[in-house]
Amino acid sequence: MHEKEKDLIEAFLRGQVDRRGLIKGLGAMGLAAGTAGTLLNLGQTRALAADFDWQAHKGKTIKLLLNKHPYADAMIADLENFKKLTGMNVVYDVFPEDVYFDKVTAALSASSPEYDAFMTGAYMTWTYGPAGWITDLNEWIKDPAKTNPNYAWDDFLPGVKSSCAWNGKPGGALGSEDAKQWCIPWAFEQNNITYNKGMFDKAGVGVPGNLDEMISTAAKLQKDIGSGVYGIGVRGSRSWATIHPGFLSAYSNFNEKDLTVSADGKLAAAMNTAGSKAFHAKWVQMIQESGPKDWSTYTWYQVGTDLGAGASAMIFDADCLGYFMNGGDNKMAGKLAYAAFTANPEAKASTPNIWIWSLAMSNFSKDKDATWYFLQWASGPEHGLFGATKMDFVDPVRQSVWKDEMFREKLNKSYPGYVEMFDASAAGASIKFTAQPLFFDLTTEWAATLQKMVAKEVPVDEGLDKLAESINGQLKEAGLG
Amino acid sequence: MEHTSLLERILRGAALTLVVIFFMFPIVWIFMMSFQTNETILRIPPQLIFEPTLANYTALITGKLMTAAGTLDIAFMRNLWNSVFLSVTSVAVSLLLGVPAAYAFARHKFRGSEDIAFTLLSFKFAPALLVLLPLTLYFQKLGLANTYIGLIWVYQLICLPLILWIVRGYFEDIPADIEYAYRIGGHSWFATFRKIALPLAGPGIAAAGLLAFIFAWNNFVFALVLASADKQPVTVGALAFITSSGIQYGQISAAIVLSITPTLALALYAQRYLVEGLSLGAVKG
Repeated sequence: MHEKEKDLIEAFLRGQVDRRGLIKGLGAMGLAAGTAGTLLNLGQTRALAADFDWQAHKGKTIKLLLNKHPYADAMIADLENFKKLTGMNVVYDVFPEDVYFDKVTAALSASSPEYDAFMTGAYMTWTYGPAGWITDLNEWIKDPAKTNPNYAWDDFLPGVKSSCAWNGKPGGALGSEDAKQWCIPWAFEQNNITYNKGMFDKAGVGVPGNLDEMISTAAKLQKDIGSGVYGIGVRGSRSWATIHPGFLSAYSNFNEKDLTVSADGKLAAAMNTAGSKAFHAKWVQMIQESGPKDWSTYTWYQVGTDLGAGASAMIFDADCLGYFMNGGDNKMAGKLAYAAFTANPEAKASTPNIWIWSLAMSNFSKDKDATWYFLQWASGPEHGLFGATKMDFVDPVRQSVWKDEMFREKLNKSYPGYVEMFDASAAGASIKFTAQPLFFDLTTEWAATLQKMVAKEVPVDEGLDKLAESINGQLKEAGLG
Repeated sequence: MEHTSLLERILRGAALTLVVIFFMFPIVWIFMMSFQTNETILRIPPQLIFEPTLANYTALITGKLMTAAGTLDIAFMRNLWNSVFLSVTSVAVSLLLGVPAAYAFARHKFRGSEDIAFTLLSFKFAPALLVLLPLTLYFQKLGLANTYIGLIWVYQLICLPLILWIVRGYFEDIPADIEYAYRIGGHSWFATFRKIALPLAGPGIAAAGLLAFIFAWNNFVFALVLASADKQPVTVGALAFITSSGIQYGQISAAIVLSITPTLALALYAQRYLVEGLSLGAVKG
């Protein structure tokens, strides 16, 4: 690297020049933005190496278990920097998402020492943690001898960070004082609206401001656009994944809960309150009037594909699903826009439930200290910035990345409204479920009940009463109720 | 001679055509999708006329896939090779072990022979998921986890009982007198097995081998649990096109076409044996 460029990069790393100034300066020296980014990355890697012994585990190899996902791709694209920085080697196994969690469960339940760290969802740690399959990462995060000074644990979005911490007690509040950090958030998804701007303009409708407006807007879109386009895409398969995106985000915006926790720690179903029944009735009406025809088979993939192909006018689902559909060879690429959604007219802001792709350390890892070196690098600010600006690492979990002008500019250029959407709902974004080991069973049953209501097999009130009764029975049986 | 009226023939032809269209349509549709991009596949309404592209096959064979989220590496050809290697070697090992064993069970009644044969058959009873976890633990201790040898061994659970029991039936159907006559001619037991029993049961062995190959090829869960990503068969590899950033329908279709080709070719080649073999046991001379 030439001296001039080196000086400029080091000035940036000392905080004397901002990112934009740096790229501009390097551009003036005849470097393309891509090259500038690469140089910066190299510079950052060198800067990282300056104030922490990154070479402590030189020569060691760790093995990762990864899900085939753009987040994993972003990490793999940056992996050479980690190897250079630490002198360590990283091997990884990538499995398709469809079978990924089966592979994780099989490896962990067999106490396999093969994998040191793996990708996981925060919900899954409610099973893995109490089973003793994963490690509480607080031990490393809070140890200055093992964690580099630039790691900035406080830089993580508070709601996201605390959603990955649980004390292991059924009903225990996420992020409580005694919580164990079962995993580190890597990138996450807020559930909001992605809509087809052209269709909204054609029907002369604006972005819905609450649930009643969403119902009427979806119905109007379906009527006015015609040619088989339906109003709103939401998930509907018999799975926990139907409950956690749009549905629970809107539900919790009305301050409704999945379960209540009594003073003595007993759990009870809370789906049959008057407020919950009113909400369910509206949700069911919306799907019956303007949802997809075969809604009960809809998963992430169908909701996304329909929006990308122009078969639906909007979705109320993960923001990054809408992000992906706005690119690639999707028919509607470049025609989608984003908005935060506040279901409750009395609520001040959107409070989305979130899915968090996280990194966890296997309890059966043969070298946890070396594994931590990888985890702190992969969840560190430098890699976060690389992933966000160079790859599709949305939504980043660090506040510093969201403040980065280049990242915001990248989003503003091709993803209209995305940054505003994020800013409007980030403060209220967290996991809204009650942490407990029966999570997957109870949410699947909830989805099954929703299916029956939409199919008019059971009235909403009666369906929710039955659901609450069944869930209370299961909680008692498991010694939780 | 039986005469059919013209009307009956026309109706029969029409009915047959309908049945063929009904059963072949999904396969033809997949074949057509493999020459289309996602954009043309997802057109509303679907159209039969399109401009064919080889991009899906190119992506699979070169291992580079362009998606909404950039370039992805695909290991599909490696998955295909894994499937071929695992299925062929597993069936070969099963034939080597199973055919002599089937002959022994068919011709020689010894103490406990039925029990042993039944025990071997019982391997087919237990659902794979029931035995996989204990197997994983054993494999880790023995150093067999994540090895081809270990996988081929586990695949014997699929192939060996199948070959053993089918082939045993064929050996039992061969009249023992033919073999006795050959033995009286001064030939050894092994020569009798090789020259008389094996050729006569040949179609049955081919049929059982083919069936075992299809079962092994279609297996999904053994490699998934017991091996790393680099040893996965196509059944797991084909799922890699369903990603968070979208489903690559074109590539999935091309992958399906490529993955059914070996089995289809083998089935077409062995068809005559298969029909002959499957009907041989049913007719007693």
